[in-house]
Amino acid sequence: MSNYKKTVGIEVHCELKTKTKMFSNTLNNYGAKENSQVNTIDLAYPGSLPLVNKGAINLALKAALILNCKINKLVCFDRKNYFYPDLPKGYQITQARHPIGVDGYVMINVGGIDKKVRIHDIHIEEDTAKSIHQTDKSYLDFNRSGVPLIEIVTEADMHTEEEAMAYLTKLRELFVYADISDCKMEEGSMRCDVNVSISKDDTLGVRTETKNIGSISSVGKAITAESIRQEEILENGGVIVEETRRFDEKDCKTILMRVKETGNDYRYFPEPNIPEFEITDDEINSVKSEIPKLPDELRSEYRTLGVNENNIKTLISNRELCSFFEKVKEFDPIITSNLITGDILSYLNKNNLSLKDIKLNEDNLKELVKKIKNSEISSKQVKTLLPILMEKGGNVEDIMKEHGMVQISDDSALQTIVDKVISTNPESVNDYKNGKDRALKYLMGQIMKESRGQANPVTVNKLLIETLNK
Amino acid sequence: MSKYLDLSIRELHELLVSGKIKPKDLVLEAFDKLENSDLNAFITVCKDEALKRAEELENADKSSMLYGIPIAIKDNINTKGIRTTCASHMLENFVPFEDAFVIDKVNEAGMIIVGKTNMDEFAMGSTSQTSYFGAPKNPWDKTRIAGGSSGGSASVVAGLLAPIALGSDTGGSIRQPASYCGIVGMKPTYGRISRRGLIAFGSSLDQIGPMTKNVYDNALVLNSLVGYDEFDLTSSNREAEDFTRLIGEDIKGMKIAVPNYFISDIVDSEIKENVLSVCELLKENGATVDFIDIKHLEHAVTLYQIIAMGEASSNLARFDGVRFGYSADSNSVDELYAKTRAEGFGSEVKRRIMVGSYLLSGDNAKEYYTKALQVRNSMKESFDEAFKKYDLIIGPTTTTVAYHLGEGMDDVRKTFLDDVLVIPVNMAGLPGLNIPIGFNHEHMPIGLHIIGNRFEEAKMYKLGSFIEKELNLDLKVKEENHE
Amino acid sequence: MEKLSKEEVLHVARLARIAVSEDEIEKYQISLKQLLDDVEKIKDINDISEDVLVTPAFEGCKLRSDDEVDTTDFSKFKSNIPHSVGDFIEVPVMINE
Repeated sequence: MSNYKKTVGIEVHCELKTKTKMFSNTLNNYGAKENSQVNTIDLAYPGSLPLVNKGAINLALKAALILNCKINKLVCFDRKNYFYPDLPKGYQITQARHPIGVDGYVMINVGGIDKKVRIHDIHIEEDTAKSIHQTDKSYLDFNRSGVPLIEIVTEADMHTEEEAMAYLTKLRELFVYADISDCKMEEGSMRCDVNVSISKDDTLGVRTETKNIGSISSVGKAITAESIRQEEILENGGVIVEETRRFDEKDCKTILMRVKETGNDYRYFPEPNIPEFEITDDEINSVKSEIPKLPDELRSEYRTLGVNENNIKTLISNRELCSFFEKVKEFDPIITSNLITGDILSYLNKNNLSLKDIKLNEDNLKELVKKIKNSEISSKQVKTLLPILMEKGGNVEDIMKEHGMVQISDDSALQTIVDKVISTNPESVNDYKNGKDRALKYLMGQIMKESRGQANPVTVNKLLIETLNK
Repeated sequence: MSKYLDLSIRELHELLVSGKIKPKDLVLEAFDKLENSDLNAFITVCKDEALKRAEELENADKSSMLYGIPIAIKDNINTKGIRTTCASHMLENFVPFEDAFVIDKVNEAGMIIVGKTNMDEFAMGSTSQTSYFGAPKNPWDKTRIAGGSSGGSASVVAGLLAPIALGSDTGGSIRQPASYCGIVGMKPTYGRISRRGLIAFGSSLDQIGPMTKNVYDNALVLNSLVGYDEFDLTSSNREAEDFTRLIGEDIKGMKIAVPNYFISDIVDSEIKENVLSVCELLKENGATVDFIDIKHLEHAVTLYQIIAMGEASSNLARFDGVRFGYSADSNSVDELYAKTRAEGFGSEVKRRIMVGSYLLSGDNAKEYYTKALQVRNSMKESFDEAFKKYDLIIGPTTTTVAYHLGEGMDDVRKTFLDDVLVIPVNMAGLPGLNIPIGFNHEHMPIGLHIIGNRFEEAKMYKLGSFIEKELNLDLKVKEENHE
Repeated sequence: MEKLSKEEVLHVARLARIAVSEDEIEKYQISLKQLLDDVEKIKDINDISEDVLVTPAFEGCKLRSDDEVDTTDFSKFKSNIPHSVGDFIEVPVMINE
């Protein structure tokens, strides 16, 4: 279709999952009443000075390690100066000279092919206030002012919408699993700016920046829309201008925000209120040790355990389920994953609940899995029992007793039922003797029905075959 | 006439502890004097608060050496419930709801705040004439400047309106007015006193310090102001020490250096003579005095212009009419900014913000700012070298004595040149102390600048006190009778 | 006397977000030029260190624990706020960037 090649670089801002803000000691508390999480530092009161949150430094360090970055052990900050009402100090404290991490990479997989997306740098900065706009006035809420952010800047290594979306999905997955950020694009805790250029050859075209796109799928759409726009301009003999645009979700096109100011007008200079400091190797190692198993490792582990691809995908995409699975999988990963991604997940979805809202816990789920594996409970009984476990909790054995779900494993009791079923189904018995395997299944079903699902299927199967072959 | 306020803190302390006087007596005398003063040294006075506090203190613990002593605070230091203007229209009605760290210390030590002193707007200037509230006057000659930017504080102490004032010093703003007004002013080591609650001018240069009539008083006040503050990341974590502890010790064997640049032709000859005669005095008493070179001293003003204006342009960006301070009527954000800042700031402040913004824009940041920080480091290293060999460095504090109000107002560079000898100390983060050492032929005070190595204030007080005792100057301004 | 051009004055005034009147522009053309000539001297300084000195605070940086919290009741800010509506701070409409 098009003989232009797209080149994409992405800048992502993620709010760090800290208790308090980056340079002040108020709460990092999304959704609180306006201006209720502020102090003199957040409002840039005259005489206020920045503090540095160690928790935020550690999370940023963790992110840099996960993205395979070289760590700048010397930490220092710079001021990025610009005037805007949501920026109380008139400057943002950021890391311009020495980002905490540089020269990293992320592996993505698109259409079965692995690809490396290089990370130029990852640096720490602070968020701005939130503003609400009406016709002639805007209203400012400084709760978000000073919330810790990391900005992750890639090299221009992506060439398709799929690659860009895969990169963002991967980044989100990593940060969510490592507890670095919620990465909720709808709440603004993850925000993407996308740089797009197109070219017919290997030279890079003039790029535009499209800001604040609302979802990962919209990133794909924005890249498509922006590359089509650029192509139309070039095909009509025009030139692309370096500019900042935004994506209009409704019309699915990018809209000009401003032409880039020539040169650097941010007047960067070192922040004198924060003396530089070193991160020690011990601190790096301690942060490293806190990094949990990440999705790629989990995926390959689950494959080895025989969990099917669909279940793996469902588990990885839901971090809460996945960490629950990690805790209960040991006894039988396949049965466990089926339960979690099947009945349990659909119950949660149907009732809009999360795992912490229900009574199912590690112990009773493990007990259940054990019973299933030992055929001490039938699948029908599982269907009845699971909702009870989730709603009321308790141990599996007790619930089974309480609801009459006792398994009949006693040979003589089962023999009676087997004999009864054989005598009432002579045709099926004949079919079986004539080699029709389906008949055996039918007879099994009749026996289970007769026992109201309480027969131990393994014992029944053994007894049935023995009796038929007599 | 002074009844008590011309006494030293030690003398006042004895009177207070013995019960001969009450804190209220000092407060009443201070207000009697300042209400009748034409020095224009205060922007805001707080009589009701001071009297209330004096009464509260009557039954309080009297062990603090500073118990019950009135103090004036420079108006760029936040005081809870008392407006803090920075001598600017921008903050004319700004009332902080938190005290600065030093104000907590002042209160803990039992001092009584009598008011907020006049200064250059946002501490930018060397004469206090950029104040929105008009210039304070020099008590030695009211047609002359008190110096700046802590001109009001110097005027208060020299004019005997209060025994103690706090100043702030970004490029000499405590020491230079102290020199012009014939008092003792200390800019401590950077980090010695928390800057929390000091309205920033040049963050890497600013430091609060005490201004007093004599050296011992000064050391006592410094004792009360220092201490680690976890809310100022540049605050020093050192153990407490008694800054008076070396006062009275023999100076025999002390190694003193005088940088050649400090006695070069830029300095008025009468001042130079006074400084050199102090050198002779020191030698006579067993100290050695060598003349040395410190790198880049001659570039101090250039460094200061770049670093202080650069930092200031950023530090003052928060004055935008949105969250506090003056706010101009406007229909757009751009207009709000441009008008608020045009109307709220005075011309010196605006000029410095503009130049500072320019110096940091685009490639200028590297050519000017980064280069200045490299020169700064080189200067600091040169000081470090000198302090390996010498105990203290001395020289004149200023190149001239206090000049007449209005003089040199048309030259925007003059105000920087006034501080040429005191700026290097801020660049290197060193402590600097001014003590009076004489008068010129017009009977205007001349000051000696004593520079110490980092955190060696006690040594500076020792030398300062020795010189003070030897010279035994009459530093009392002839008071007018207001009765 | 050498002067800055009017455009140069307007440029730095814009950087600083300070409105300047016609009269002021003329004054700034001279006074800003004087200061800019002064700082030009930095370019001629030799014998300097490679390293920069950002702040003469040499005791490192004590980081704060993420558990320390200190919030201020917004009502304390209110008397200093030029324009507020409820607990929001009001400004002329921001051109939405």
